[in-house]
Amino acid sequence: MIEFEALKPQNLKEALAVLKEKGMDIKILAGGTDLLVEINNNSDRLGDFKYLMDISSIKGLDEIENKKEHLIIGALCTHTQISESELIKRNFPILIRAAKTIGSTQIRNRGTIGGNINNGSPAADLITPLIALKGSVILKSKNKKRELPLQDFITGPYKTDRKEDEIMTKIKIPKITSDYQSSFQKVKRRQAVAIARINLAVVTDIKKKRFNDIRVVFGSATPTAIRFLKIEKRLKQAHINELDLESIAEQTGQEMVEITGERWSTPYKKPVVGNLLIRALQEIIREVQ
Amino acid sequence: MQKVKVSLTVNRKKYNLKVDPDERLLDTLRDRLHLFGVKEGCSIGECGACTVILDGKAVNSCMVYTFQIDGSQVLTVEGLEIDGRLDPLQLSFIEHQAVQCGFCTPGMLMSAKALLNKNPNPDKEAIKTAIEGNLCRCTGYQQIIEAIEASTKKDGSE
Repeated sequence: MIEFEALKPQNLKEALAVLKEKGMDIKILAGGTDLLVEINNNSDRLGDFKYLMDISSIKGLDEIENKKEHLIIGALCTHTQISESELIKRNFPILIRAAKTIGSTQIRNRGTIGGNINNGSPAADLITPLIALKGSVILKSKNKKRELPLQDFITGPYKTDRKEDEIMTKIKIPKITSDYQSSFQKVKRRQAVAIARINLAVVTDIKKKRFNDIRVVFGSATPTAIRFLKIEKRLKQAHINELDLESIAEQTGQEMVEITGERWSTPYKKPVVGNLLIRALQEIIREVQ
Repeated sequence: MQKVKVSLTVNRKKYNLKVDPDERLLDTLRDRLHLFGVKEGCSIGECGACTVILDGKAVNSCMVYTFQIDGSQVLTVEGLEIDGRLDPLQLSFIEHQAVQCGFCTPGMLMSAKALLNKNPNPDKEAIKTAIEGNLCRCTGYQQIIEAIEASTKKDGSE
């Protein structure tokens, strides 16, 4: 078993001061729904740490703020809070759909959006829609604050750009107009408490029956969730009633293989990503017709 | 490992404890407070046998370190009974034979109780969502769902 000391800073300022001093030896704990499993399993991903710093009860990091051009979600907002937020429902229903598929009621009551992002799992259910929504993350250290796109924050499977002395405080999402549509798809083994085999977020606005801005992000298909730029380019300006679905599905599978190379899972995932995108597009098209 | 001071209210009784940093709420409840109704199943949040109500919300007690929840209120299955009287939900489980081996029952009860506290008249979908994190390998869930449904009707007619 891993041995560690507990740290429980009373507020953000104190937490950042402690991180400045001994950040390299600290593991940050929020809802614990990923971390406690890893500690229990003695996972290699944990690396070395001497202290476990619990930030779950730090005040002020669990608010959802409505700004003129953005919605700001505190990093400690739980999946339950996100699922029940009227503000998020109005602005980004795709986030609600994704949050509701995470774990179970018990897990959604503890797990946080910041934890989901910082754990950096390729299958994280909030990362995929947040990238499609062009979300960015705000990180604070004792003397600095920075913001970067979520896409750049995730640097590899279970790897992020977070520095040892930083805490993610907020997630910022630019508002989109009400003519945007979205779809979240997830393939899983069991209805509840299932890690996504593959997930997909599509966000688009349709103008004169053509896809205008379109964002297609797959999770768990590539090492990190990313936008599939080639298929986006093909779909942009395509007429929604004149789609060659079979060839779109085929091309989506090819784009995945171009990124990952042929792997043991390719015979399964290649057709599935294509079909999933078709399902998402059909859902969106049904909505607008 | 240095112990951490924590005060908790468990089943309406206050405790001041010194816990290990890696002591889960599940360990505290079973090993220190001898509340054996809290079951350890999978230890990784998949089975829900260790479900308790923490500050009003159903949580897996295997996924919470006790040092995280200083000042919190915890309710376990033992706390459903008040002055020797079972909770209506427990009576409904008995009436509908929603128990076979019984291992999942405390967790099921706590997930259902958390739901009913928040929403006294849930529909079937809400009931299913509330217990989606609780595995039962005996009953096939039907009787459990019926027991919870019947309990909501009772609450409504009282």
